[in-house]
Amino acid sequence: MEGGNGKSILQFAPFQSSVDEGFWHRLSSLKLNKFGVDDSPVPITGFYAPCSQSQVSNHLTLLAESLPSDSSEESSLLAVSRGNRNRCFVPGIIYNTNTVEGFHALDKQGLLKAEAQKIWEDICSGKALEDSSVLSRFLLISFADLKKWSFHYWFAFPALVLDPPATLVNLRPASQCFSSEEAESVSAAFNEWRNSSLTADVPFFLVHIDSNSHATIKHLKDWETSQSADDGHKLLFGFYDPCHLPNHPGWPLRNLLAFVCSRWDLKSVHFLCYRESRGFADLGLSLVGEAMITIPPGWRNHGHVPNAVGWELNKGRRVPRIISLAKSMDPTRLAISAADLNLKLMRWRALPSLNLHSLSSLKCLLLGAGTLGCQVARTLMAWGVRNITLVDNGRVAMSNPLRQSLYTLDDCLNGGEYKATAAVNSLKRIFPAVEAEGVIMAIPMPGHPVPSQEEQSVLDDCRRLHDLIDSHDVVLLLTDTRESRWLPSLLCANTNKITITAALGFDSFLVMRHGAGPCSSSHDSKTEAENSLSADMSNLGLTDGDGGKRLGCYFCNDVVAPIDSTSNRTLDQQCTVTRPGLAPIASALAVELLVGILHHPHGIFAEGEVVNSSNSGSSEQPLGILPHQIRGSLAQFSQMTLVGHSSDSCTACCGTVVSEYRKRGMEFILQAINYPTYLEDLTGLTELMKSASKFELEWDDGTDEDDDDLVEV
Amino acid sequence: MEVLGWVGALSSRDFYVAARAFADNRKEFNSAFPPWNWVPSPHLSQLQQQQQGYLSLERICLPGSSKEDVNEENHTGEEKAYEPVDNATLVETSSPQACYYDFHIVYSDSYRFPVLYFRSYHIDGQPLALEEIEKDLPACSSKVLLESKWAFITQEVRIPQSPSQSKLKKKICSMNHAELCLPHNNGVNRT
Repeated sequence: MEGGNGKSILQFAPFQSSVDEGFWHRLSSLKLNKFGVDDSPVPITGFYAPCSQSQVSNHLTLLAESLPSDSSEESSLLAVSRGNRNRCFVPGIIYNTNTVEGFHALDKQGLLKAEAQKIWEDICSGKALEDSSVLSRFLLISFADLKKWSFHYWFAFPALVLDPPATLVNLRPASQCFSSEEAESVSAAFNEWRNSSLTADVPFFLVHIDSNSHATIKHLKDWETSQSADDGHKLLFGFYDPCHLPNHPGWPLRNLLAFVCSRWDLKSVHFLCYRESRGFADLGLSLVGEAMITIPPGWRNHGHVPNAVGWELNKGRRVPRIISLAKSMDPTRLAISAADLNLKLMRWRALPSLNLHSLSSLKCLLLGAGTLGCQVARTLMAWGVRNITLVDNGRVAMSNPLRQSLYTLDDCLNGGEYKATAAVNSLKRIFPAVEAEGVIMAIPMPGHPVPSQEEQSVLDDCRRLHDLIDSHDVVLLLTDTRESRWLPSLLCANTNKITITAALGFDSFLVMRHGAGPCSSSHDSKTEAENSLSADMSNLGLTDGDGGKRLGCYFCNDVVAPIDSTSNRTLDQQCTVTRPGLAPIASALAVELLVGILHHPHGIFAEGEVVNSSNSGSSEQPLGILPHQIRGSLAQFSQMTLVGHSSDSCTACCGTVVSEYRKRGMEFILQAINYPTYLEDLTGLTELMKSASKFELEWDDGTDEDDDDLVEV
Repeated sequence: MEVLGWVGALSSRDFYVAARAFADNRKEFNSAFPPWNWVPSPHLSQLQQQQQGYLSLERICLPGSSKEDVNEENHTGEEKAYEPVDNATLVETSSPQACYYDFHIVYSDSYRFPVLYFRSYHIDGQPLALEEIEKDLPACSSKVLLESKWAFITQEVRIPQSPSQSKLKKKICSMNHAELCLPHNNGVNRT
């Protein structure tokens, strides 16, 4: 760049900003708690230090401490008013707007001018002599989007413009400008200056070298007294230079030159850009130069404020910067990453084969949002399941919050919130990232005949249930009656869905997984077609593709069809009155059983295993054995694992029933609901009962009929 | 309590001695690199103050690989922040974004062992993602990382409460305390 007299224009490396994440946190907190809608400017403090590495410039840094303290914080922490050798305090101001439009609409030219005026006034009044850091005053405009946790911001470092610009006479490393004696003395003087807490944070100073090569560092205000008759003396204006470049001084020199020329009317200024490395003055990195200044004519006029430049460029463009801190500030995101980390640790530590992705993408349908449903939902979330639908048509009653862990007293008021709704709200309060949905619907039940005017709505409910089951990966039957489990069991058998049943007695429980449906095969359909005989047999529900027997469902052991179990009972027989400890145990086992199925290579087709001494401690699967049924008794503090195979006369899952449903659909359902004996006839149970009663006269006490436990729960 | 029952455990006093020696050692032998600074704990009684503290190494700059600026929204044209044309401003070619690391070696009372905490960030305060940090790890650590991710490095996340806590920290438990504590082991500029 050529100047008027053939010399080059002195070019300064712009100041660069650096913002610590803590600054944004504190700004957000202040905005939320203290400022509110008040967008008046707030004084802040920036920090900078001289360049300390030859490859990288230093920055003007903002930290959390740059902002005034949040009133809720202890003010005893770091109430430091002085800087130190690594932190020169620089005064600044922040304009934080309430809207992004407000941010873009700020009068940037005007704001810069206002800050430049402050600098100019400090120069004229002499305040800059007392506290030279005001020469580096800066401006920050910002908009904090506290919903998205992103921050728009723009720094300006006002520099008074010399017009015509200063020209550079020479600029060299300091080591080339001093004799070795001088250099040694200068280094020593600097180290003393930097080590003293009184001067370490003073960024502008004088370097005085007398004719005996003795150097001293002085304050700017000592300039007049430093003039001496000593011809050999050198007097340099020095400053902490954040810039590392070998051929350019840093930005703070601009206002220093403006100050020097306006105050002392110097035409030629010798300056020293102080830089250090590893804590000591580095005279190879530091620069010494001479600049020629022409004082702009307008500056002598009283009241005139020089022009200023200084908006920070963003990658060369004159645009603001944006930073998004959602990942580290948004509480929901933090909760998600903490939860994921927890599961990943489990995966590393104990269970390398844990398939977290299958759990997080799993869609779970919970039928029932009561004692079992609430506990199952919570435990599913702990496993990383994020997609949960709860179906329940009841309202939260006053006694519920004690046993149903998603509800509180508030849910019971005013007649009680719908359980499905309250449960979903509760899940979201626990973990905002959960995708939970509530469905308020009653499950049609056999033995509860439907009056004709309600037929349509019941059919709608059946279809709705069918669709719900279809659109989920896993169904958990957590209702409080036997008959309410019938239709879901049938629908699950029809679509071969993984189904878990949990049922409670007073002090006993059953947790089981339903076997595969009758129209399924563990082989591919290709193989099935090849082996048509086994395919036929599969269709009859006698065997699955492997030739083994299907595992049973909840109804496989029953010899009567589900009927109305709620009418004509006493109060304690109607509600499920159970020992409180039972539901959490059963719910936990239900979820663990589910996770076991999901990790088993055969999934729903996995065979049922039982606990025995040979497999305790060393099982083939990392999660342990995969039982079919778990029946437990609190009275005994005991638990049994059992296997039961499917019954060809099962009212819910046998081949006959499923194919009848496939043939006749809703008509079949309605018939089963209205006439429970229909199911018994259809499945041949009626015949079975007749033939069983024929044998009664010849009953022989010695033989056990079967091993299955026929106790209803 | 200074009774140590575990192999490899360190007392708080031993940590103090070793940490000071490590820092001094590094200044002497690795003078090309920025020094570790001992920072005494501010809030303890005078008696303990001398010995309680941690080692700090901050603003270590790693010149970046070009960082894709995910924050770059499409600006609707440049801001008309009018400024007079200024020949005195040096226009620099944009260099790839550097990232910065702060390291702190802190004595853990529960593990009875030094723990390295570090945080990494870009100049605008944006913390580095774990994937980006993995690229910066020294070769021996990267190898171990592939084998057993959470064996020696874990992430600590805290919502900031106060300036001193306003940092996300990642923690490495050093498997080889010799690297950190024995003063004669020079040339250690990795962690």
